[in-house]
Amino acid sequence: MSIIDAIKSKAVRSPWLYRINAGSCNGCDVELATTALIPRYDVERLGCKYCGSPKHADIVLITGPVTSMVKDKVLRVYEEIPDPKVTVAVGVCPISGGVFRGSYSVPIMLDDIIPVDVNVPGCPPRPQAILEGVAMALDIWKTRI
Amino acid sequence: MLDMLSHSFHLLIFPGGLFALLLGLLLKGFDRKICARLQRRVGPPILQPFYDIIKLSQKETIIPDTANKAIFKFAPVFGFMGMMVAAMLIPVPGVWNGATGLGDMLMLLYLLPIPAIAFMLAGSASSSPYGAIGTSREMVLMFAYEIPLLVVLLTVAIKAGGADGSEFSLAQVVAYQHANGSFGFNLSMIPAFIAFLCFIPGTMGAVPFDLPEAEPELLEGPLLEYSGPLLAMFNLMSALKMVVVMGLGVALFFPGTIPGGALANLAWFIFKCFMLMLVSVTIVRSATGRLRTDQTFKFYLKYPSVLAYVSLGLTLLLK
Repeated sequence: MSIIDAIKSKAVRSPWLYRINAGSCNGCDVELATTALIPRYDVERLGCKYCGSPKHADIVLITGPVTSMVKDKVLRVYEEIPDPKVTVAVGVCPISGGVFRGSYSVPIMLDDIIPVDVNVPGCPPRPQAILEGVAMALDIWKTRI
Repeated sequence: MLDMLSHSFHLLIFPGGLFALLLGLLLKGFDRKICARLQRRVGPPILQPFYDIIKLSQKETIIPDTANKAIFKFAPVFGFMGMMVAAMLIPVPGVWNGATGLGDMLMLLYLLPIPAIAFMLAGSASSSPYGAIGTSREMVLMFAYEIPLLVVLLTVAIKAGGADGSEFSLAQVVAYQHANGSFGFNLSMIPAFIAFLCFIPGTMGAVPFDLPEAEPELLEGPLLEYSGPLLAMFNLMSALKMVVVMGLGVALFFPGTIPGGALANLAWFIFKCFMLMLVSVTIVRSATGRLRTDQTFKFYLKYPSVLAYVSLGLTLLLK
C-alpha cells in the first residue's frame, strides 16, 4: 500500500451524520438527538458530527414512514447528498410503516425509493441500537470511500 | 532573484503554507478535543481535522443550478490565498523575525477580513436564503470587531514607536518588545490585550459570536451549499486564519524568546499560540451560548472598543 493510499484510507474516520425526518412521530428523532448529542454516548469520539446541510453529509439517518406528502422532498434531499453515502433507516416505520401501516398516506416503503444499507428496528430504538446501527454504517462506509 | 526565492519559501513552507496549515489543523484538533473534555465527553482524535480534510477531498462536488458558478468556485480559493499571504507575514520570534518591508500591520489589517469577504461572496453566490442571512450577519460582525482591532493595532504601533512617532512594521514591533519587555506585561497595554482577546472569537466565528455560521439556526449559513473539495478549502482557510490570528496576538503582546536555539523557540511559539487559543476560543466556546446579532454588535462597541481606547489614551499620556 502506497503512502497515498494510506492517507486516503484515513477518510473513513470522518463520517458526518445527517438526519431526515420522513413524517416521523418525532420519537426516533428525540432518540437520535439524545443518543448522539449527549456527552454520555458521545459520537464525536468516532469522528462523527451532525451537520445541518445534506451537502456535507456522509451517513444519512432516515426516520418515519415515508408519507406521500414528504416522499418527493426526501428524494430531493437524498439526491443533494454527495457520493459516497450510506443510508440508515432508524425505527420500525421506514421498514414496514410501523403503527402507520395501512394508512392512506403511507403508500410506499422507504426501500422502494432509496437503497437502504442498515435497518435499526424499534419503536423507538434504544440508544445502544442506534449506535450499533451507526457502527455498522461505518463498516459499510469504509468499503465505499 | 534571491528575494523572490526567500519570499516563495516563506509563502509556501515556513511560516506560511505548509507549516501554518499543519499548525492550524493541529490547533483546531486540540480545540475540539479540549472542548469535548471540558464538557465531559471523550471527544474526537486530535488529528480529526486532518481526517475531515482527507474525507472532503474525496467527496463529490455539487454546485446548485441557481448559483453563480464562477464566484461560487472562486470564493474558497480567494479566502485561502488571502490567508496564505497573511500567514507569510507573521513573525515567529526567535526563529524568523518577519519579512522586511512586507510585515506591516496595516497590510495585515487589510488581509484579515479576506475570509469574511470570502464568506460573503460564498453566501451570496450560493443563492441560498440561509447563505444570504449569513452574509448579512457576517457583514455586521465584521464591522463590529474591526473597530477594536484597528485601535489595538494603533496602540501597539504608537507604543512601539518609542518617544517619537509610530512603528507599523511587525518585525520592528517584535524587536522593540525584545528590547523593552513584552507589551502583555505592561500595565497600560493590558486593556488592549483584553480587547484583542475579545476580538479573537469574533473573527474566528467561535461560539458566542458565530452568527454567520450559527449551526442550529442557519445550518452553517454561507457554507450550506458547499460540498467536497471546496468545503475542504474553506476548512483549510479557517485553519490558516487560526494561525494568523494567534500568531498576530503572540507578536503583538508576548513575543518573548527562550534560550535554546531556533527549535526550542519554535516549540515556544506553538505553545503560546495554543495557550492563546485555549483562553480566547476553547474555554469561551465550551461555556457559552450564541448571542444575537444586536447583542454582539453592542458588546463589541461597548467593551473591547472602550478597553482599546483606554489603552490608546494611556499610551499617549505616558509617552
